[in-house]
Amino acid sequence: MSEHLSTPKNPDAFRRRGFSGERLIRYFFASNAGLTILIFVLIIAFLLKEGLGFFPSYKRELEIYRITGMEYVDISRNNLTSHEQLVSVLNRAYYAEINGQADRELQRTKESAAIYTAMDEFGAALRDQYFTAIDSNSQELAVAESIKQKYSTLMPLSVKNLPASPNLTREERQAIIDTMLTRSIEIEDTPDLVAVMASEYATARQKFAAPLTANRALIDEFDASAGELSKRVSEMTKKVILTKDALAKADIIERDRKTLLAAAASAKTLEERDRLTKDAEAAIAEVPDVAAPMAELMHARSECASIHQELAAKVQELSAKLAFSYQQPEAKKLSSVATRALPIYLSELQQAPQLLEKWDSHLPVNLSAAIRSFLTGKNWITGGEWQDFYGILPLLIGSLMIAVVALIIGIPAGVGAAIYTNQFASAREQKIIKPVIEFIQAIPSVVLGFIGIFVLGNALRELSTVEALSWFPGFPMEERLNIFTAGCLLALMSIPTIFSLSEDAINNVPSAYSEASEALGASKLQTTFKVVIPAAFSGILAAILLGFGRVIGETMVVLLVAGNRIKIPDFSSGIGAFFQPAHTMTGIIAQELGEVPIGSVHYRALFVVGIFLFTIVLCVNAIAHRYSNKMKH
Amino acid sequence: MITEEQLIRKGTPKGRRLDLLTRALLSGITYSIVVVALLLFGKIVVDGAPTLFTTKAPFINISFLTDKNETLHVFDDSSGKLHQLPASKYNEYLTTHGEDAIYNHQSFSYSGGGIVGPIVGTVLLTIGAILIALFFGVSAAIYLSEYSKQSPFIHAVRLAILNLAGVPSIVFGLFGFSVFVLAVPVITLDPSSRTLLSFPIFIGDYFVSFQGWNSSLMAGCATLACMILPVIITASEESLKAVPQGFRDASLAMGATRWQTIRKCVLPYALPGILTSSLLAITRVAGETAPIMFTAAVAAKDDLPWEGLSNPFDILSSQVQALPYHIYTLAARIPNSEFTQRAQYGSVFVFLLLVAFMSFGSMILRAKLRSRLKW
Repeated sequence: MSEHLSTPKNPDAFRRRGFSGERLIRYFFASNAGLTILIFVLIIAFLLKEGLGFFPSYKRELEIYRITGMEYVDISRNNLTSHEQLVSVLNRAYYAEINGQADRELQRTKESAAIYTAMDEFGAALRDQYFTAIDSNSQELAVAESIKQKYSTLMPLSVKNLPASPNLTREERQAIIDTMLTRSIEIEDTPDLVAVMASEYATARQKFAAPLTANRALIDEFDASAGELSKRVSEMTKKVILTKDALAKADIIERDRKTLLAAAASAKTLEERDRLTKDAEAAIAEVPDVAAPMAELMHARSECASIHQELAAKVQELSAKLAFSYQQPEAKKLSSVATRALPIYLSELQQAPQLLEKWDSHLPVNLSAAIRSFLTGKNWITGGEWQDFYGILPLLIGSLMIAVVALIIGIPAGVGAAIYTNQFASAREQKIIKPVIEFIQAIPSVVLGFIGIFVLGNALRELSTVEALSWFPGFPMEERLNIFTAGCLLALMSIPTIFSLSEDAINNVPSAYSEASEALGASKLQTTFKVVIPAAFSGILAAILLGFGRVIGETMVVLLVAGNRIKIPDFSSGIGAFFQPAHTMTGIIAQELGEVPIGSVHYRALFVVGIFLFTIVLCVNAIAHRYSNKMKH
Repeated sequence: MITEEQLIRKGTPKGRRLDLLTRALLSGITYSIVVVALLLFGKIVVDGAPTLFTTKAPFINISFLTDKNETLHVFDDSSGKLHQLPASKYNEYLTTHGEDAIYNHQSFSYSGGGIVGPIVGTVLLTIGAILIALFFGVSAAIYLSEYSKQSPFIHAVRLAILNLAGVPSIVFGLFGFSVFVLAVPVITLDPSSRTLLSFPIFIGDYFVSFQGWNSSLMAGCATLACMILPVIITASEESLKAVPQGFRDASLAMGATRWQTIRKCVLPYALPGILTSSLLAITRVAGETAPIMFTAAVAAKDDLPWEGLSNPFDILSSQVQALPYHIYTLAARIPNSEFTQRAQYGSVFVFLLLVAFMSFGSMILRAKLRSRLKW
């Protein structure tokens, strides 16, 4: 009994106060579980910390854009750009027509020149040495001679890698090669035959250009009509840039002053504080004069408007005549682009005077304007001298279009494969199908992107150039890397997700359902499509949503394969819009984050894109989980 | 032959043709996916295998795996013979043969030599990330499976895991960049000017400064670990739950504490399952590019991570090359030509081989485990 007395009456006394090892271990594990919450909160906190500063800075940028009058100048500038683009399209159509007719001569010139250049470049290094040798005052004539020797022995080697020449006859090709081989090292002129072909081409061009002189004159007239506008815009631009630079400079000085003041506040010694404060006081920027240049701009407002009116009248007069009829397909296409764009341009021109009159530099820019400009902006223009714009629309649309392509392919494939594997396939088939599809999931996305660039891009493009498919809108593809190519690869990435989750959903349908259906005399097909699939429907929907979440958040494939052109695709060509390159939200972050200065507006804009992406994916996943929770039988 | 179905139904059912058509359609879809997957894999194998394997013994091109990455120089010599030499050998050639012995010189970045740098970098990143994630992930899973009762805390944890699993990898890149590269605390002699907060700790002249680890191996490991944590937790919890409840009950009935039970009667049986599932997580960590782009990876580096360091711990704060990032560089930054193909397809082939090896390994291990651990 005495032994019992020697032990404490209540051995748990320590434990109750929370000192027990068991409890500590428990807290240790609990804190590790809490780590997930911490990470999640940190992600949100740091995205917001870096991202939220974007809107005030962007608002300031937009404010400068307005008070300096850049916005005002942009009305005219945009019209000028449209005009120049139109001229360029018209010119391209004109030359495409001529070159298309003179195609044979063009090819012959190109090929002969290519052969000549290849051989010439081969010997170029030696020829340079030779000339240096004979230039340096005759001492090295022996060297020059040896170089000459070397040249003649080496030149035959150049024949090895010459470009093909399907449009030249064998004799012509040989003639060029022979001229090049036999001639001496000093001669640098183009061989006669090449020159002859060039002149043949020139004559052919002249011949085909002759019936088009009227067109040429019209295009030139159209081009010249914007001369006044162009002059005015460049004058205004110069003035406005000066004001902008002054403002930006003042902002920087102001920021430096604030840093100095902050440093002064935390300075250790009194003298240091005094010195820093003095520096800060000395650094007060003089407020740049915005009003005077603005008054000047406004003074010329009516002149600018009348320039626009005159131009509009001129364009209206010309627009009917500018609809040329060409024969060559390339020229036809370009010409139709121009005829479609002309009325749009004209209406913009006609509205311009009104816009110019209405514009007011004193309208305040508030925060909501910055937010609106981000959410609905159609331009993502960065790193320019003029004005940066951060509009998410082109990126969002790019991401969504790629996701749409991926899902259009991925849903039937993934769900179909899941139905087949679960309902119809034999056990042996399942053993092949499941590991292969699981393996697709394990392929790293960068490898898929690599395949997209080197294999799929070329294959799809070649497919699109097949004559029999030319009726398809958007064919032949202009770019190898485009929305469709990226979508195909992402479909491959989404298939395993959709497949395995839908398969699970179908598998989770209680067997009693199908047994009951079979007992009532339904065929296998009826049971599958009328009983099992409807029962698994919400699970399949969840699978599709999760697949969408995976596709929209995918980075490497779209960065490599989507083409990275920051522009809203041109929807006027219908489905063809899916064959244009685009940029995506994930791609822009991956591409630009490494290059921007930390803390700049651009840097913060990328974080805001990240917040946007994060929100979309979280919402999609939340809906998906809600659906999959419904699936409890 | 008469099947059971025919015996019961007597005669062929209606819609026989529709039935066949549907089956054909569905199986067509399924097998076309399989074929596409095999074709892609086949293409990489056909184009990449020649880089890695040779026809002579030992049949593996060891130098591709053990040489450093270099710029490739392609040129003809005076007899018209084509040479392809990596930068170091090219310089040697220049010194022995002289400048003028070279014609048609072209150079291709990243295409010469081998890929030992990226392989080593990926291995280091993967090991680091998996160790961190296993430690925290298994601990969290033990809490969820062994200690948890329904509580708001557990609910929040599960919600966080569910949401973390869906976060896009590029968002993890942003997170890693803003937290591990720019914000986590370090102990340093002179805090950088961009520090968020710094205070002296009165040991020597050291400061604790929230200025981040810069782009470094440890920042990359930490980012990848955060990304993979939900996968590890879910897999570990599953393995822990698979251990029969009887084991715990018996142990507790014998008077063992909760921790003793976990250590002796639960973890040993769950561990094989946990490790097998984390093999799948390894393939994911090794394959991710977006999270390490800004936190750890660098396109070109002359030294291996441990070369030229005075202190072995500096390896943690050095940048590394990584295989997926190397492939991205090869795909995006250099043109495709007959001379770069070797490096491009070779790297992808080695990478894919690694991934396939690990994922098939985990599949086989999982199947073995299932047949062995049956209670």
